[in-house]
Amino acid sequence: MRELAFRDALREAMSEEMRRDERVFLIGEEVAQYNGAYKVSKGMLEEFGARRVIDTPVSESGFAGLSIGAAMMGLRPIVEFMSWSFSLVAADPILNNAAKMLYMSGGQFGCPIVFRGNDGAGGQLGSTHSWCVESLYANVPGLKIIIPSTPYTAKGLLTQAIRDDNPVFCLENERMLALTGEVPEESYTLPIGKAELIRSGNDCTIVSFGRPLYFCLEAAEELAREGIECEIIDGRSITPLDIDTIAASVCRTNYCVVVDQSWSFASVGSEVAAEVHRVCFDDLDNYVYRVHSDDVPAPYAKGLEQEMLPNARKICEAVRSVTYNA
Amino acid sequence: MPIEITMPRLSDTMEKGTIIKWHIAEGDDVTAGDILADVETDKATMEMQAFDDGRVSRIAVDEGVAVAVGTVVAVIVEEDDEPAASASSEPAASPTESPALADDPVAAPCHKVTSVARRLAEQHGVDLSGLEGSGPGGRITKRDVLAAVGTSEEMRASVPPSAQEQHARPDVIEPSHMPVPAVPVTRVATSLAGTDSDRREPVSIMRQTIARRLVESKQEIPHYQVSMVFAMDAMMALRKDLNTELADQGVRLSVNDLLVRACAVAMNRNPLMNASWDGDAIVYHGEVNIGVAVALPEERGGGLVVPVLRNADSRSLRAISAETRALSEKARTRGLTVEEMEGATFTISNLGMFGVDAFTAIINPPNSAILAVGACLQKPVVRDGELTIGWEMNATLSNDHRVVDGATAARYLGTLKEFIEHPAAILV
Repeated sequence: MRELAFRDALREAMSEEMRRDERVFLIGEEVAQYNGAYKVSKGMLEEFGARRVIDTPVSESGFAGLSIGAAMMGLRPIVEFMSWSFSLVAADPILNNAAKMLYMSGGQFGCPIVFRGNDGAGGQLGSTHSWCVESLYANVPGLKIIIPSTPYTAKGLLTQAIRDDNPVFCLENERMLALTGEVPEESYTLPIGKAELIRSGNDCTIVSFGRPLYFCLEAAEELAREGIECEIIDGRSITPLDIDTIAASVCRTNYCVVVDQSWSFASVGSEVAAEVHRVCFDDLDNYVYRVHSDDVPAPYAKGLEQEMLPNARKICEAVRSVTYNA
Repeated sequence: MPIEITMPRLSDTMEKGTIIKWHIAEGDDVTAGDILADVETDKATMEMQAFDDGRVSRIAVDEGVAVAVGTVVAVIVEEDDEPAASASSEPAASPTESPALADDPVAAPCHKVTSVARRLAEQHGVDLSGLEGSGPGGRITKRDVLAAVGTSEEMRASVPPSAQEQHARPDVIEPSHMPVPAVPVTRVATSLAGTDSDRREPVSIMRQTIARRLVESKQEIPHYQVSMVFAMDAMMALRKDLNTELADQGVRLSVNDLLVRACAVAMNRNPLMNASWDGDAIVYHGEVNIGVAVALPEERGGGLVVPVLRNADSRSLRAISAETRALSEKARTRGLTVEEMEGATFTISNLGMFGVDAFTAIINPPNSAILAVGACLQKPVVRDGELTIGWEMNATLSNDHRVVDGATAARYLGTLKEFIEHPAAILV
């Protein structure tokens, strides 16, 4: 199968859906003339024209709100945030309007919209541009949050997100955009709310989302040399959370480590841990261990930033501890 | 002042010990140096001595129950003890670190058990009160219950098929650069149909250790065997001569003693035979320490141990013979210390005395080879083109192919043959 970069897989999903459905359009800062700040929308202006690939001023609150209105009136906008860090200034429209519209209108207006952009630290962008928004936003009902980890899942999940009748947040990562992998040429979708086993093992389950999965795989290789075979689950979507797939694995291994790039308090990681404790209560041999970013704003210094994030060393330590091999 | 006797740590790897026999009863007076009990560890059965004088006020652990190192197994009260301990009483000389239950030696241990450990214990009929938890604060974990059941491998292998099938869904295309390596599932054959005439007997710690180590050895080490037949006439004659000449000095050399010496001396020309595989390196051992497998009598629970003859390449036959006899005798009667069984760099297993003419042995890790020695037998042989009667012995070398290639093993057997057939060379 042909190989495609993560950014190209995202573009392919958007372009295919725009060819398939004329209601779909792309809007955001520098998405058109500049081909996207991260070149995700390269060539799309040329193909679809300025009416459907729209450059905006630096005004997240404005273009997010405008797009929500368009969605309410029947269009299917894809809104690119250059970084999810910038979505904070659009918190009111994306959380108060998009997420609640179907409910507050008594079912009169839905909001079929996709917000997408880079999420997470790792590129020395400083603390204000290094947000992991998943834990903040997953707390809000009415949203779906997907977090693809490979070009293949990026295309499949984003295609499904564009077709979804609900607001979907797609969390990408700048550090992963150049990553390549096999991607089918034809259009396909992956279900939102379905996790996937990406490594089999009998000794401990590791659950993660997005970029930290690569640190999990790295840790699993090291742990395998110590005789600990980890099973790794790619959550793929945060809300809805596929607790069934996670629990099926944990009930077999009896141990669970959750790796979440957000801060620990009231986080995706704490939610997964709580659910595992609920569903797997009689099958656990230890409480669920969690690996998060440290409780500090993301440092700018490269070494400090890597140390603050979940990394293979922290994951190895957690797995050894949870399995009583520390 | 009550003195707590705790399960001592008798080897570096010891985590648990079993008191297989108490030599004392509650109410007995003991003196420092008295043997309190026989303790079975993962490696050996050893004696536990009293370090203080006093009266046994309590025996806290029954015979046959495995407990963790540091657990209080008995309490001794000094005989002149008043309820208020006198200031002059010596501090309890505990052989190990203080136990977890030091605050209240008389209280029954509080059993914290994880959910899955409790369920497994119910499934396998394991009495949790007999277990000592290895988790934090004495928490009983899955591992502790499985160790008690002795089927941890079997449990690990019980993977429900559903999890495996997830990969095979035809409608989902796998991402390419997150490969899904299949973890091989090793199943221990368990489906023996049980009948009323079957008898299930829990095994000793030694048997568990033998089972675990040999499975590890056979799974991990790429074994292969090389055999050779040795003409033993010269060696038998030499042995007879020496034993006749030195009988009044109590020297009684066995064929095995001569073989130990020959194997050790032969290392000088074949250092790879005295080496170990270590992941990304081969470790050449500076000492030549020959382990000799010794079968234990049934009344001591059977099994086998491997006492070690240190620096056998630089010691006299007389010393090797005396020490081998002493260690074998001690192994069969009182048990060996850990030191007496550690550090072998090569092992000899001899079944000749049972009339076995040839067999193969499993390598004793971290050795790279083991020599399986058959009986020395009189046979029709061809010597100098003539059919005659001669002594012959077969020996089969099992080798770790990561360290020892076939030609290396063959050269080593060749050196051995030279020494065995011209044994004067091993006298000095």
